[in-house]
Amino acid sequence: MTIGIGGAGSKLAARLDPNATIVNVSESELNKVEAGKRILAVVHAARGQFRGSRKSPQIGHDAYLSVRRELLALVRGDMVFSATGGGTGNGVTSGLLTDLVALDDLGPHDKTCFALVLPYAKLEPSEYINNTINFLQSALSEAIDSGNTGNIVLFSNSLKFQSRVPEDEYNNMLVDSLRVFLAIPDKNESLKLLDGHIDYEDFTLYTSRPFFNHFTYFDFDPETPFEDQLNANINPLLLPPENPIEALFLYETPVGGDPTPFYDILQHFSNVNVSPVYSVVENPERQTPFVTVSLLYSRKPAELLDDFNHVSEEHTKAKVRKSLEQQVELPKLQVNLETETKRVAKQRGGSEEDILVVLRRLGKL
Amino acid sequence: MNDLFEEQVNHLGESHFLVLFWAAKAEDRTVRYNITNCFDDLKYSGITRTKQNAVAVVDSLSLLRFVDIREEGNRKNIYITTYGAKALESLVLSRTFAPKRSAFLEGP
Repeated sequence: MTIGIGGAGSKLAARLDPNATIVNVSESELNKVEAGKRILAVVHAARGQFRGSRKSPQIGHDAYLSVRRELLALVRGDMVFSATGGGTGNGVTSGLLTDLVALDDLGPHDKTCFALVLPYAKLEPSEYINNTINFLQSALSEAIDSGNTGNIVLFSNSLKFQSRVPEDEYNNMLVDSLRVFLAIPDKNESLKLLDGHIDYEDFTLYTSRPFFNHFTYFDFDPETPFEDQLNANINPLLLPPENPIEALFLYETPVGGDPTPFYDILQHFSNVNVSPVYSVVENPERQTPFVTVSLLYSRKPAELLDDFNHVSEEHTKAKVRKSLEQQVELPKLQVNLETETKRVAKQRGGSEEDILVVLRRLGKL
Repeated sequence: MNDLFEEQVNHLGESHFLVLFWAAKAEDRTVRYNITNCFDDLKYSGITRTKQNAVAVVDSLSLLRFVDIREEGNRKNIYITTYGAKALESLVLSRTFAPKRSAFLEGP
Protein backbone atom coordinates (compact mmCIF):
# COMPACT_ATOMS: atom_id res chain seq x y z
CA MET A 1 0.00 0.00 0.00
CA THR A 2 1.04 3.54 -0.56
CA ILE A 3 0.77 6.49 1.76
CA GLY A 4 0.85 10.12 0.74
CA ILE A 5 1.55 12.87 3.23
CA GLY A 6 0.71 16.49 2.54
CA GLY A 7 -0.53 18.01 -0.71
CA ALA A 8 2.26 16.92 -3.03
CA GLY A 9 2.66 13.52 -1.36
CA SER A 10 -1.07 12.80 -1.60
CA LYS A 11 -1.21 13.55 -5.30
CA LEU A 12 1.75 11.32 -6.06
CA ALA A 13 0.56 8.47 -3.87
CA ALA A 14 -2.95 8.56 -5.29
CA ARG A 15 -1.57 8.55 -8.78
CA LEU A 16 0.63 5.54 -8.16
CA ASP A 17 -2.00 3.63 -6.26
CA PRO A 18 -5.72 4.48 -6.41
CA ASN A 19 -6.16 2.77 -3.03
CA ALA A 20 -3.51 4.88 -1.37
CA THR A 21 -3.95 6.32 2.08
CA ILE A 22 -3.48 10.05 2.20
CA VAL A 23 -2.82 12.28 5.16
CA ASN A 24 -3.32 16.01 5.29
CA VAL A 25 -3.86 18.80 7.78
CA SER A 26 -6.25 20.73 5.57
CA GLU A 27 -9.62 19.08 5.15
CA SER A 28 -10.37 20.79 1.87
CA GLU A 29 -7.05 19.70 0.38
CA LEU A 30 -7.69 16.20 1.64
CA ASN A 31 -11.02 16.01 -0.14
CA LYS A 32 -9.58 17.19 -3.42
CA VAL A 33 -7.63 13.97 -3.95
CA GLU A 34 -9.34 10.71 -4.80
CA ALA A 35 -7.88 8.06 -2.54
CA GLY A 36 -8.64 4.75 -0.86
CA LYS A 37 -8.45 6.20 2.61
CA ARG A 38 -8.20 9.73 3.88
CA ILE A 39 -6.76 10.61 7.26
CA LEU A 40 -7.19 14.11 8.63
CA ALA A 41 -4.35 15.03 10.95
CA VAL A 42 -5.93 17.19 13.61
CA VAL A 43 -4.54 20.45 14.81
CA HIS A 44 -6.05 21.71 18.02
CA ALA A 45 -6.64 25.26 16.91
CA ALA A 46 -8.98 27.69 18.63
CA ARG A 47 -10.53 28.71 15.33
CA GLY A 48 -11.04 25.24 13.92
CA GLN A 49 -9.26 23.54 11.12
CA PHE A 50 -10.00 25.38 7.96
CA ARG A 51 -6.52 25.98 6.80
CA GLY A 52 -3.53 23.76 6.18
CA SER A 53 -0.19 23.96 7.84
CA ARG A 54 0.76 27.15 6.00
CA LYS A 55 4.32 26.05 5.22
CA SER A 56 5.03 25.64 8.93
CA PRO A 57 6.52 22.22 9.79
CA GLN A 58 5.67 22.88 13.44
CA ILE A 59 1.95 22.77 12.63
CA GLY A 60 2.54 19.59 10.61
CA HIS A 61 4.44 18.06 13.48
CA ASP A 62 1.71 18.95 16.01
CA ALA A 63 -0.85 17.42 13.70
CA TYR A 64 1.26 14.30 13.35
CA LEU A 65 0.77 13.57 17.05
CA SER A 66 -2.93 13.06 16.43
CA VAL A 67 -2.35 10.38 13.78
CA ARG A 68 0.87 8.96 15.13
CA ARG A 69 -0.34 5.54 16.20
CA GLU A 70 -2.46 4.98 13.12
CA LEU A 71 0.27 6.10 10.77
CA LEU A 72 3.04 4.09 12.44
CA ALA A 73 0.97 0.92 12.07
CA LEU A 74 0.20 1.74 8.45
CA VAL A 75 3.62 2.59 7.13
CA ARG A 76 5.29 -0.71 7.93
CA GLY A 77 6.54 -2.22 4.70
CA ASP A 78 4.90 0.49 2.66
CA MET A 79 5.98 3.40 0.59
CA VAL A 80 5.51 6.94 1.84
CA PHE A 81 5.33 9.92 -0.49
CA SER A 82 6.02 13.33 0.85
CA ALA A 83 7.47 16.70 -0.07
CA THR A 84 10.01 18.32 2.19
CA GLY A 85 9.22 21.93 1.40
CA GLY A 86 5.74 22.48 2.80
CA GLY A 87 4.45 22.25 6.35
CA THR A 88 2.45 19.04 6.37
CA GLY A 89 4.79 16.86 4.33
CA ASN A 90 7.81 18.07 6.21
CA GLY A 91 6.27 18.13 9.71
CA VAL A 92 4.42 14.83 9.57
CA THR A 93 7.22 12.98 7.80
CA SER A 94 9.87 14.20 10.20
CA GLY A 95 7.67 13.08 13.12
CA LEU A 96 7.26 9.73 11.44
CA LEU A 97 10.99 9.34 10.77
CA THR A 98 11.82 10.24 14.36
CA ASP A 99 9.44 7.57 15.62
CA LEU A 100 10.82 5.02 13.18
CA VAL A 101 14.31 5.70 14.50
CA ALA A 102 13.18 4.60 17.95
CA LEU A 103 11.85 1.23 16.75
CA ASP A 104 14.11 -1.78 17.01
CA ASP A 105 12.13 -4.73 15.76
CA LEU A 106 12.05 -3.99 12.05
CA GLY A 107 12.64 -6.84 9.62
CA PRO A 108 13.15 -6.28 5.88
CA HIS A 109 9.41 -6.56 5.30
CA ASP A 110 8.65 -3.85 7.82
CA LYS A 111 10.94 -1.22 6.40
CA THR A 112 9.27 1.83 4.97
CA CYS A 113 10.45 3.28 1.70
CA PHE A 114 10.30 7.02 1.34
CA ALA A 115 9.85 8.96 -1.85
CA LEU A 116 10.66 12.56 -1.02
CA VAL A 117 10.19 15.49 -3.35
CA LEU A 118 12.82 18.15 -2.78
CA PRO A 119 12.17 21.70 -3.93
CA TYR A 120 14.12 23.37 -6.70
CA ALA A 121 16.38 25.60 -4.71
CA LYS A 122 16.73 28.36 -7.27
CA LEU A 123 13.10 29.17 -7.93
CA GLU A 124 10.95 27.92 -5.08
CA PRO A 125 10.18 30.06 -2.02
CA SER A 126 12.86 30.39 0.59
CA GLU A 127 10.54 28.86 3.25
CA TYR A 128 10.57 25.64 1.25
CA ILE A 129 14.33 25.71 1.07
CA ASN A 130 14.74 26.42 4.78
CA ASN A 131 12.22 23.72 5.69
CA THR A 132 14.11 21.27 3.51
CA ILE A 133 17.43 22.17 5.08
CA ASN A 134 16.00 21.56 8.55
CA PHE A 135 14.44 18.31 7.43
CA LEU A 136 17.64 16.99 5.89
CA GLN A 137 19.69 18.04 8.87
CA SER A 138 17.52 16.62 11.59
CA ALA A 139 14.89 13.97 10.81
CA LEU A 140 16.35 12.46 7.66
CA SER A 141 19.87 12.49 9.01
CA GLU A 142 18.81 10.61 12.14
CA ALA A 143 16.75 8.16 10.13
CA ILE A 144 19.67 7.34 7.86
CA ASP A 145 21.98 6.83 10.81
CA SER A 146 19.49 4.50 12.49
CA GLY A 147 19.09 2.33 9.39
CA ASN A 148 15.41 1.86 10.15
CA THR A 149 14.09 3.02 6.81
CA GLY A 150 14.02 1.33 3.46
CA ASN A 151 15.19 2.98 0.27
CA ILE A 152 14.83 6.70 0.11
CA VAL A 153 14.10 8.07 -3.32
CA LEU A 154 14.98 11.71 -3.61
CA PHE A 155 12.93 13.29 -6.35
CA SER A 156 13.94 16.77 -7.34
CA ASN A 157 11.71 19.49 -8.68
CA SER A 158 14.52 20.94 -10.75
CA LEU A 159 13.44 19.42 -14.08
CA LYS A 160 9.93 20.71 -13.53
CA PHE A 161 11.13 24.28 -13.23
CA GLN A 162 13.90 24.07 -15.80
CA SER A 163 11.70 22.54 -18.50
CA ARG A 164 8.51 24.34 -17.37
CA VAL A 165 6.45 21.19 -17.03
CA PRO A 166 2.89 21.52 -15.67
CA GLU A 167 2.60 20.04 -12.20
CA ASP A 168 0.11 17.40 -13.22
CA GLU A 169 2.31 16.22 -16.03
CA TYR A 170 5.38 16.29 -13.81
CA ASN A 171 3.63 14.17 -11.20
CA ASN A 172 2.82 11.71 -13.97
CA MET A 173 6.45 11.66 -15.00
CA LEU A 174 7.57 10.94 -11.43
CA VAL A 175 5.04 8.18 -10.95
CA ASP A 176 5.67 6.63 -14.36
CA SER A 177 9.36 6.64 -13.66
CA LEU A 178 8.83 4.98 -10.30
CA ARG A 179 6.54 2.43 -11.90
CA VAL A 180 9.31 1.31 -14.22
CA PHE A 181 11.47 0.58 -11.20
CA LEU A 182 8.68 -1.08 -9.19
CA ALA A 183 7.77 -3.27 -12.17
CA ILE A 184 11.09 -5.13 -11.99
CA PRO A 185 9.83 -8.12 -9.93
CA ASP A 186 6.62 -8.30 -11.99
CA LYS A 187 8.61 -8.50 -15.21
CA ASN A 188 10.89 -11.08 -13.65
CA GLU A 189 7.82 -13.11 -12.77
CA SER A 190 5.82 -12.76 -15.96
CA LEU A 191 8.49 -12.75 -18.65
CA LYS A 192 10.76 -15.53 -19.80
CA LEU A 193 13.80 -15.61 -17.56
CA LEU A 194 17.15 -15.96 -19.31
CA ASP A 195 19.65 -15.35 -16.55
CA GLY A 196 19.77 -14.40 -12.88
CA HIS A 197 16.54 -13.53 -11.12
CA ILE A 198 14.95 -10.87 -8.99
CA ASP A 199 11.85 -12.25 -7.32
CA TYR A 200 9.60 -10.35 -4.95
CA GLU A 201 11.68 -11.43 -1.96
CA ASP A 202 14.88 -10.18 -3.54
CA PHE A 203 13.24 -6.95 -4.51
CA THR A 204 11.83 -6.39 -1.03
CA LEU A 205 15.20 -7.12 0.49
CA TYR A 206 16.77 -4.64 -1.90
CA THR A 207 14.27 -1.90 -1.19
CA SER A 208 14.60 -2.44 2.55
CA ARG A 209 18.21 -1.22 2.51
CA PRO A 210 18.53 2.14 4.24
CA PHE A 211 20.20 3.98 1.38
CA PHE A 212 19.28 6.51 -1.23
CA ASN A 213 17.98 4.88 -4.36
CA HIS A 214 18.71 6.28 -7.78
CA PHE A 215 17.06 4.35 -10.58
CA THR A 216 17.17 4.93 -14.28
CA TYR A 217 16.29 3.10 -17.45
CA PHE A 218 17.29 3.36 -21.07
CA ASP A 219 17.62 1.52 -24.34
CA PHE A 220 20.84 -0.40 -24.16
CA ASP A 221 23.38 -0.16 -26.94
CA PRO A 222 25.74 -3.19 -26.76
CA GLU A 223 28.37 -1.31 -28.77
CA THR A 224 28.83 1.52 -26.22
CA PRO A 225 30.44 0.92 -22.82
CA PHE A 226 27.82 0.62 -20.12
CA GLU A 227 29.42 3.26 -17.93
CA ASP A 228 29.08 5.89 -20.65
CA GLN A 229 25.47 4.96 -21.23
CA LEU A 230 24.72 5.09 -17.54
CA ASN A 231 26.32 8.50 -17.14
CA ALA A 232 24.44 9.79 -20.15
CA ASN A 233 21.13 8.48 -18.85
CA ILE A 234 21.07 9.63 -15.25
CA ASN A 235 17.43 9.95 -14.24
CA PRO A 236 16.71 13.69 -14.46
CA LEU A 237 13.81 13.39 -12.02
CA LEU A 238 16.09 12.29 -9.19
CA LEU A 239 19.07 13.77 -7.47
CA PRO A 240 22.26 12.57 -9.18
CA PRO A 241 23.79 9.47 -7.52
CA GLU A 242 27.11 9.02 -5.79
CA ASN A 243 29.29 5.93 -6.02
CA PRO A 244 26.98 2.95 -5.57
CA ILE A 245 27.10 0.61 -2.60
CA GLU A 246 24.67 -1.86 -4.03
CA ALA A 247 23.01 -2.16 -7.41
CA LEU A 248 20.22 -3.95 -9.17
CA PHE A 249 19.43 -4.19 -12.83
CA LEU A 250 16.96 -5.79 -15.14
CA TYR A 251 18.10 -6.47 -18.67
CA GLU A 252 15.31 -6.93 -21.18
CA THR A 253 16.19 -8.32 -24.54
CA PRO A 254 13.90 -8.65 -27.57
CA VAL A 255 12.76 -12.10 -28.61
CA GLY A 256 15.72 -13.95 -30.00
CA GLY A 257 18.11 -11.19 -28.93
CA ASP A 258 21.53 -11.79 -27.48
CA PRO A 259 21.34 -11.74 -23.67
CA THR A 260 25.12 -11.74 -23.13
CA PRO A 261 25.73 -7.95 -23.14
CA PHE A 262 24.56 -8.00 -19.55
CA TYR A 263 28.05 -9.32 -18.71
CA ASP A 264 29.33 -5.87 -19.65
CA ILE A 265 27.07 -4.44 -17.00
CA LEU A 266 28.29 -6.94 -14.45
CA GLN A 267 31.85 -6.08 -15.43
CA HIS A 268 31.19 -2.42 -14.92
CA PHE A 269 29.82 -2.97 -11.42
CA SER A 270 32.65 -5.34 -10.59
CA ASN A 271 35.07 -2.54 -11.48
CA VAL A 272 33.47 -0.37 -8.81
CA ASN A 273 33.41 -3.27 -6.32
CA VAL A 274 29.69 -3.80 -6.40
CA SER A 275 28.04 -7.15 -7.04
CA PRO A 276 24.58 -6.35 -8.29
CA VAL A 277 21.37 -8.29 -8.08
CA TYR A 278 20.24 -8.84 -11.64
CA SER A 279 17.79 -10.49 -13.90
CA VAL A 280 17.79 -11.00 -17.66
CA VAL A 281 14.43 -11.52 -19.31
CA GLU A 282 13.06 -11.78 -22.79
CA ASN A 283 10.43 -9.16 -23.48
CA PRO A 284 8.45 -9.70 -26.70
CA GLU A 285 7.36 -6.05 -26.68
CA ARG A 286 10.90 -4.75 -26.96
CA GLN A 287 12.62 -4.04 -30.28
CA THR A 288 15.96 -3.17 -28.69
CA PRO A 289 17.59 -4.22 -25.45
CA PHE A 290 16.33 -2.20 -22.49
CA VAL A 291 17.94 -1.90 -19.12
CA THR A 292 16.55 -0.71 -15.79
CA VAL A 293 19.27 0.05 -13.26
CA SER A 294 19.01 1.01 -9.64
CA LEU A 295 21.94 2.26 -7.61
CA LEU A 296 21.92 2.41 -3.84
CA TYR A 297 24.22 5.07 -2.56
CA SER A 298 24.89 6.66 0.73
CA ARG A 299 25.39 10.32 1.06
CA LYS A 300 25.72 12.27 4.20
CA PRO A 301 22.77 14.61 4.44
CA ALA A 302 25.30 17.33 5.12
CA GLU A 303 26.62 16.96 1.59
CA LEU A 304 23.13 16.81 0.27
CA LEU A 305 22.55 20.09 1.98
CA ASP A 306 25.20 21.94 0.08
CA ASP A 307 22.99 22.98 -2.82
CA PHE A 308 20.25 24.10 -0.53
CA ASN A 309 22.55 25.89 1.85
CA HIS A 310 24.16 27.64 -1.04
CA VAL A 311 20.83 28.89 -2.32
CA SER A 312 19.62 29.74 1.15
CA GLU A 313 22.72 31.84 1.68
CA GLU A 314 22.12 33.60 -1.62
CA HIS A 315 18.56 34.35 -0.51
CA THR A 316 19.80 35.83 2.74
CA LYS A 317 22.42 37.89 0.94
CA ALA A 318 19.82 39.20 -1.48
CA LYS A 319 17.56 40.16 1.42
CA VAL A 320 20.38 41.98 3.17
CA ARG A 321 21.27 43.75 -0.06
CA LYS A 322 17.68 44.82 -0.53
CA SER A 323 17.34 46.13 2.99
CA LEU A 324 20.56 48.06 2.54
CA GLU A 325 19.19 49.60 -0.62
CA GLN A 326 16.05 50.61 1.18
CA GLN A 327 17.91 52.29 3.98
CA VAL A 328 17.79 56.06 3.58
CA GLU A 329 20.99 57.88 4.31
CA LEU A 330 20.25 60.80 6.58
CA PRO A 331 22.10 64.07 6.02
CA LYS A 332 24.64 64.84 8.69
CA LEU A 333 23.59 67.90 10.67
CA GLN A 334 26.46 69.75 12.22
CA VAL A 335 24.82 72.03 14.72
CA ASN A 336 26.71 74.62 16.62
CA LEU A 337 24.65 74.90 19.79
CA GLU A 338 25.75 78.46 20.54
CA THR A 339 24.75 79.92 17.19
CA GLU A 340 21.61 77.80 17.15
CA THR A 341 20.59 79.15 20.58
CA LYS A 342 21.19 82.69 19.43
CA ARG A 343 19.14 82.05 16.30
CA VAL A 344 16.21 80.66 18.27
CA ALA A 345 16.44 83.45 20.85
CA LYS A 346 16.41 86.00 18.05
CA GLN A 347 13.36 84.32 16.55
CA ARG A 348 11.62 84.57 19.88
CA GLY A 349 12.82 88.14 20.36
CA GLY A 350 14.49 87.22 23.62
CA SER A 351 17.57 89.40 23.61
CA GLU A 352 17.71 92.95 24.89
CA GLU A 353 18.71 94.61 21.64
CA ASP A 354 15.84 92.96 19.88
CA ILE A 355 13.33 94.78 22.01
CA LEU A 356 14.56 98.03 20.41
CA VAL A 357 13.84 96.58 16.99
CA VAL A 358 10.41 95.62 18.28
CA LEU A 359 9.80 99.13 19.60
CA ARG A 360 10.84 100.63 16.27
CA ARG A 361 8.58 98.26 14.46
CA LEU A 362 5.74 99.32 16.70
CA GLY A 363 6.51 102.94 15.87
CA LYS A 364 7.18 103.81 19.48
CA LEU A 365 10.78 104.90 18.90
CA MET B 1 13.36 118.15 30.03
CA ASN B 2 16.16 115.71 29.34
CA ASP B 3 17.30 116.00 32.89
CA LEU B 4 13.84 115.12 34.11
CA PHE B 5 13.71 112.13 31.76
CA GLU B 6 17.10 110.89 32.93
CA GLU B 7 16.08 111.43 36.54
CA GLN B 8 12.93 109.40 35.99
CA VAL B 9 14.73 106.60 34.17
CA ASN B 10 17.52 106.41 36.69
CA HIS B 11 15.05 105.79 39.45
CA LEU B 12 13.30 102.90 37.72
CA GLY B 13 13.81 99.50 39.29
CA GLU B 14 14.14 96.08 37.72
CA SER B 15 10.42 95.45 38.08
CA HIS B 16 9.67 98.63 36.08
CA PHE B 17 12.11 97.61 33.38
CA LEU B 18 10.56 94.14 33.14
CA VAL B 19 7.01 95.46 32.90
CA LEU B 20 8.04 97.82 30.10
CA PHE B 21 9.92 95.03 28.39
CA TRP B 22 7.05 92.53 28.59
CA ALA B 23 4.46 95.08 27.61
CA ALA B 24 6.46 95.95 24.48
CA LYS B 25 6.86 92.32 23.63
CA ALA B 26 3.18 91.56 24.15
CA GLU B 27 2.20 94.45 21.94
CA ASP B 28 4.54 93.15 19.25
CA ARG B 29 2.77 89.80 19.41
CA THR B 30 -0.62 91.52 19.48
CA VAL B 31 -1.34 89.91 22.82
CA ARG B 32 -3.17 91.95 25.45
CA TYR B 33 -1.04 92.20 28.54
CA ASN B 34 -2.96 93.11 31.67
CA ILE B 35 -2.13 93.78 35.31
CA THR B 36 -2.92 90.21 36.34
CA ASN B 37 -0.51 88.81 33.74
CA CYS B 38 2.03 91.32 34.92
CA PHE B 39 1.62 90.20 38.54
CA ASP B 40 1.94 86.52 37.51
CA ASP B 41 5.13 87.21 35.59
CA LEU B 42 6.67 89.23 38.40
CA LYS B 43 5.80 86.50 40.85
CA TYR B 44 7.22 83.85 38.46
CA SER B 45 10.44 85.84 38.17
CA GLY B 46 10.72 85.95 41.97
CA ILE B 47 10.53 89.77 42.14
CA THR B 48 7.40 90.18 44.19
CA ARG B 49 4.91 88.00 45.97
CA THR B 50 2.09 90.49 46.37
CA LYS B 51 -0.36 91.93 43.94
CA GLN B 52 -0.11 95.31 45.60
CA ASN B 53 3.54 95.57 44.58
CA ALA B 54 2.69 94.64 41.01
CA VAL B 55 -0.08 97.25 40.96
CA ALA B 56 2.25 99.85 42.46
CA VAL B 57 4.86 99.20 39.73
CA VAL B 58 2.31 99.47 36.94
CA ASP B 59 0.68 102.49 38.58
CA SER B 60 3.93 104.37 38.91
CA LEU B 61 4.84 103.64 35.27
CA SER B 62 1.42 104.86 34.30
CA LEU B 63 1.80 108.08 36.32
CA LEU B 64 5.19 108.69 34.70
CA ARG B 65 3.38 108.25 31.34
CA PHE B 66 5.68 105.34 30.44
CA VAL B 67 2.70 103.07 29.97
CA ASP B 68 -0.87 103.62 29.08
CA ILE B 69 -3.48 101.61 30.97
CA ARG B 70 -6.66 101.03 29.08
CA GLU B 71 -9.71 99.40 30.52
CA GLU B 72 -10.79 96.87 27.89
CA GLY B 73 -13.47 94.24 28.57
CA ASN B 74 -13.09 94.51 32.37
CA ARG B 75 -9.32 94.05 32.00
CA LYS B 76 -6.68 96.70 32.62
CA ASN B 77 -4.39 96.24 29.64
CA ILE B 78 -0.93 97.76 29.59
CA TYR B 79 0.42 99.51 26.45
CA ILE B 80 3.84 101.06 26.27
CA THR B 81 3.92 104.75 25.25
CA THR B 82 6.53 106.38 23.00
CA TYR B 83 7.90 108.03 26.09
CA GLY B 84 8.10 104.64 27.81
CA ALA B 85 9.80 103.24 24.69
CA LYS B 86 12.51 105.86 25.07
CA ALA B 87 12.93 104.93 28.74
CA LEU B 88 13.18 101.24 27.83
CA GLU B 89 15.71 102.06 25.09
CA SER B 90 17.89 103.93 27.50
CA LEU B 91 17.67 101.12 30.07
CA VAL B 92 18.57 98.54 27.43
CA LEU B 93 21.50 100.56 26.10
CA SER B 94 22.84 101.21 29.59
CA ARG B 95 22.47 97.47 30.31
CA THR B 96 21.24 98.26 33.78
CA PHE B 97 18.96 95.23 33.97
CA ALA B 98 18.82 91.86 32.24
CA PRO B 99 15.53 90.82 30.67
CA LYS B 100 13.70 87.82 32.09
CA ARG B 101 11.24 85.41 30.56
CA SER B 102 7.60 86.19 30.72
CA ALA B 103 5.76 83.05 31.72
CA PHE B 104 2.61 84.46 30.20
CA LEU B 105 4.15 85.20 26.82
CA GLU B 106 6.69 82.43 26.47
CA GLY B 107 5.36 79.74 28.73
CA PRO B 108 6.77 78.63 32.07
